Amino acid sequence: MSESGIRRFLNPLLRSKTGIIGLILIAIPLAMAFFPQYIAPYDPYKRVARPFQQPSMAHPLGTNDIGQDILSELIYGARISLFVGIVAALATVALGSLVGLIAGYFGGLVDEAFMSVTDTMLLIPILPFMILFSTFMGRGYINIVIVITIFAWPGIARYVRAQVVTLKTQPYVEAARAVGAGATRIIFKHLLPQIAPTLAALVMLRACASMIAEAALSFLGFGDPIQKSWGTMIYWARRSGAITSGAWWWITAPGFMITMTVLGFAHIGYVLEEYYNPRLRKS
Amino acid sequence: MHIALGRYLIRKFFSRFLVFMAILTITFIIPRLMPGGAFAYLIENPNISPEFREALIRQFGLDKPILEQYVLFLREFFLSGNLGISFYYRKPVMSVILDALPWTILLVTGSTIVSVILGMLAGLAAAAKRASVLDRAFFNVSMFFRSMPAFWLALVLLIFFSYYLDLFPLYGAYTYGRTYESFFEYIADVAYHLALPFMTLTVLTTSAYLVLSRNLAIDVLTEDFIITAKAKGLPERTILYRHTLRPILTPLMTMTAIELGYSIGGALMIETVFSLPGVGKLMYDAILMTDYPVLLGIVIMTSAVTLVLVTLVEIFAAIIDPRVMLT
Repeated sequence: MSESGIRRFLNPLLRSKTGIIGLILIAIPLAMAFFPQYIAPYDPYKRVARPFQQPSMAHPLGTNDIGQDILSELIYGARISLFVGIVAALATVALGSLVGLIAGYFGGLVDEAFMSVTDTMLLIPILPFMILFSTFMGRGYINIVIVITIFAWPGIARYVRAQVVTLKTQPYVEAARAVGAGATRIIFKHLLPQIAPTLAALVMLRACASMIAEAALSFLGFGDPIQKSWGTMIYWARRSGAITSGAWWWITAPGFMITMTVLGFAHIGYVLEEYYNPRLRKS
Repeated sequence: MHIALGRYLIRKFFSRFLVFMAILTITFIIPRLMPGGAFAYLIENPNISPEFREALIRQFGLDKPILEQYVLFLREFFLSGNLGISFYYRKPVMSVILDALPWTILLVTGSTIVSVILGMLAGLAAAAKRASVLDRAFFNVSMFFRSMPAFWLALVLLIFFSYYLDLFPLYGAYTYGRTYESFFEYIADVAYHLALPFMTLTVLTTSAYLVLSRNLAIDVLTEDFIITAKAKGLPERTILYRHTLRPILTPLMTMTAIELGYSIGGALMIETVFSLPGVGKLMYDAILMTDYPVLLGIVIMTSAVTLVLVTLVEIFAAIIDPRVMLT
């Protein structure tokens, strides 16, 4: 991202209270993801204490069933949870906007075909579909990213299409067409830059949904058993009897981090959407 | 009105049927796209015997050309409700799913009705006192709940309310092995078991309806007929619960139809956590056992149920506001 891109991203955020709250909420998991080795008190893969220890001074979030430090696991898990959330969001928005741009620009039969697919996919519950695909594709976070992307793009396509339909009647697009610009050029040189700021907002909002979907799929056992995301931590907690032994610290900590990170993305997304989408900008 | 409604219903039914056919086709194609084709998912399973495998291949014509298989697949489904045999339960997939489905439908419809009403009332209250402490609190709490995974809220409530406070049971939809002296005793036992999962789902879905109702009501409250009502000196309560409520009902119904998909997904995860004998638990077990026929069946049947529920909501919307039929 260029310097002006970063400024266009940060300026609206720093100007609103909601945006600042969002940035603070995101800063914590980001720090965990980039520098786990400086923050984590222990090696998350080593047993460092007796199993099922309640939170204490030495282990602020207690220990798990094999005596690993849960705070350290949580800090190391941030990287995978954020990676899946953000990569899936980027892929979803890329695919969704491509479909939206094509459907919106060309209209007609292409448009109707794409839109009837999106309508269907927005209506039916996608969780069973995601689980079916995950079972066929096997475990692993890359597969989770792919599955989320396959089922999450319709909402974005719809949103982008609506914008393109209004944009393409603008005089500057007609002028471009009049001087003989091709469809590819108009779509990527004239339409895409116009909707780019809103796409940044959509990436943030999609990251929320992607993180929650990752958590659900990992909780069902589709994550990587070696590398633990926050969702996978909860999967292991439940499988290892955290409920029946009352280990509330093991269940609450990862979910709390998911919730806070999602809240952060949501705050940032709403501020950006309101700032860059003129229809939402109110007095 | 009745003719219009009838025509509207036929149109809706036809488009929903097309959607359902598309879903059936997808569930037909997916296992056949896997490496090894349709056979792989049957043969790679160690749980089934050679005779059973032979029977499946014959029943679904898996050794025949793909188009013939498709016709056979549709015929089996529509004529005899045959979705294949579960690897794990060794029973028809359809009967396994039909046993589980009522629990899920109960959970989803019950909590949808309660959360639409709660969300609507809370949303109206928030809109009436726009930007007040109450309004902000409602919004922030809703956003907080919307940001958490459904299964995690279920786990947290389970560990605190059931394990530590011992207020609710730890698993199941009824006490296993218990004999009931009367029907009411059974209902009471089920209600006691379903209370916590029901609360979990309701809290999550109410948040969505609350925010939507609030935003809709704020727009309505600036309209002329509300100002007229105020000028006439009508009490605020009447303005809110009669004049404002009516116009937001229709968009709220549309929202309900869209929200059902989320609600069913949430219900599946919540059932898994509370070990309710619904579709969610069935799905979880099918994942553990890699029971592909059951997973495919669940996709088909949850889609079918959603389409039926969505259509029911739309009919309801068309009855309270006939203008819906024009769109």
